[in-house]
Amino acid sequence: MSGAMAIPSCAGLGLLSGARATAQDRHPHWAALMARAQAGDARAYEALLRECLPLLRAVCRARLREPAEAEDAVQDTLLSLHRVRHTYDPARPFRPWLMAIAERRVADRLRRLARQGGLTPPVEEAEEPREPGPGAEQTLADRQDTARLREAAQGLPPAQHTAVMLTKIEELSLAEASRRSGMSVGALKVATHRALHALRRRLSGED
Amino acid sequence: MRSEELISRLARDLRPVRRLPGPLALTAAWVALAACVVGTAVLLMGPREDLMAHLAAPDRALPLLAAVATGLLAGFSAFQLALPDRDGRWGLLPLPAVLLWLTGMGWGCLADLARIGPAALRLGASFACFGFITALGLPLTAGIAFMARHAAALRPGPVVALGGLSAAALASVGLSCVHHLDAALMVLAWHGVAMLCVTAVAWNCGPWLLRRLGAAAPRL
Repeated sequence: MSGAMAIPSCAGLGLLSGARATAQDRHPHWAALMARAQAGDARAYEALLRECLPLLRAVCRARLREPAEAEDAVQDTLLSLHRVRHTYDPARPFRPWLMAIAERRVADRLRRLARQGGLTPPVEEAEEPREPGPGAEQTLADRQDTARLREAAQGLPPAQHTAVMLTKIEELSLAEASRRSGMSVGALKVATHRALHALRRRLSGED
Repeated sequence: MRSEELISRLARDLRPVRRLPGPLALTAAWVALAACVVGTAVLLMGPREDLMAHLAAPDRALPLLAAVATGLLAGFSAFQLALPDRDGRWGLLPLPAVLLWLTGMGWGCLADLARIGPAALRLGASFACFGFITALGLPLTAGIAFMARHAAALRPGPVVALGGLSAAALASVGLSCVHHLDAALMVLAWHGVAMLCVTAVAWNCGPWLLRRLGAAAPRL
């Protein structure tokens, strides 16, 4: 990616910093829901799992290329979570507990895929699952940001939508985006600028 | 089945569960269980008559204390590792105690060498030591595996291996209270090999054992 592209790309993802802060604030809420689930509150449990589902999907899709495999890993995680739900201590944050289970199930699936061969990721990825550290959290947050950016871009005019998808989501160079879209580099720059302006307003309105 | 549907089913079948006690409480329960079993074995076999004098000698007491510490720390780290969100480095917790045990035994070997000469380095057979530690250590490993059975879906091998190390170390303490094996090299060899065997068996059988014991959340 060219240096000229790096700045608007970061700016695009930076639009969602407010949304990320909101996601961080959700942790105590999840811990409280899980505590109620341990006491048998089915409604709290269902609400918690539904809220966690996008996060689980993002984690699994980040590590598994095949969407079906990723969805299977999500379901494995949900089943494991259900089995060991008594091990959660509500005094501790919920997200690391959940992420550790998800990483384990993804690692299992990667190992299985590596054994089967075919469309598999490198074997080294199937080694001991990583502890959910700050790097993984950052990657995940970036992916969630991208997903939210993609969703928000749906309502843009076609030219702006194309420009932001190619330059911000797919992170193509202006020359490559121009070749793919048939738009001139100048038109792409203008459309991207307008799209980012519209998205900034839209997303800050959401928060 | 879609994940949303699975969530609905899991929520529909939800039952209240008894929250797992913390690692410290589980370790206390485990040590109490192991102390009862090992203590009973010591009483049945009869403690060695010079036990107090044996414990008063620093080169004998140090390895014994290190073995107790290994048992406690390995048990605690097993219960830590059995929880999903705990750092894998908890598994290294018993390492200082193991090193202290080895150091203590090495010191004992040197003390024996100074006291009785090259005869101290003669290695004989002591299958009774091996039998005592494995006969107590393996069932106790099953006991700690049961207490940490929630690790089935997480880290079954390391958790049961640490449990095995804890069980074998505590069995080794019991053995030191009944058996007249004073040559440090013999103790190092036979206790060490037996502890290593129990830990290795536990590591290999851990996943299978925990699958058998089941990891379903205990209901209220």
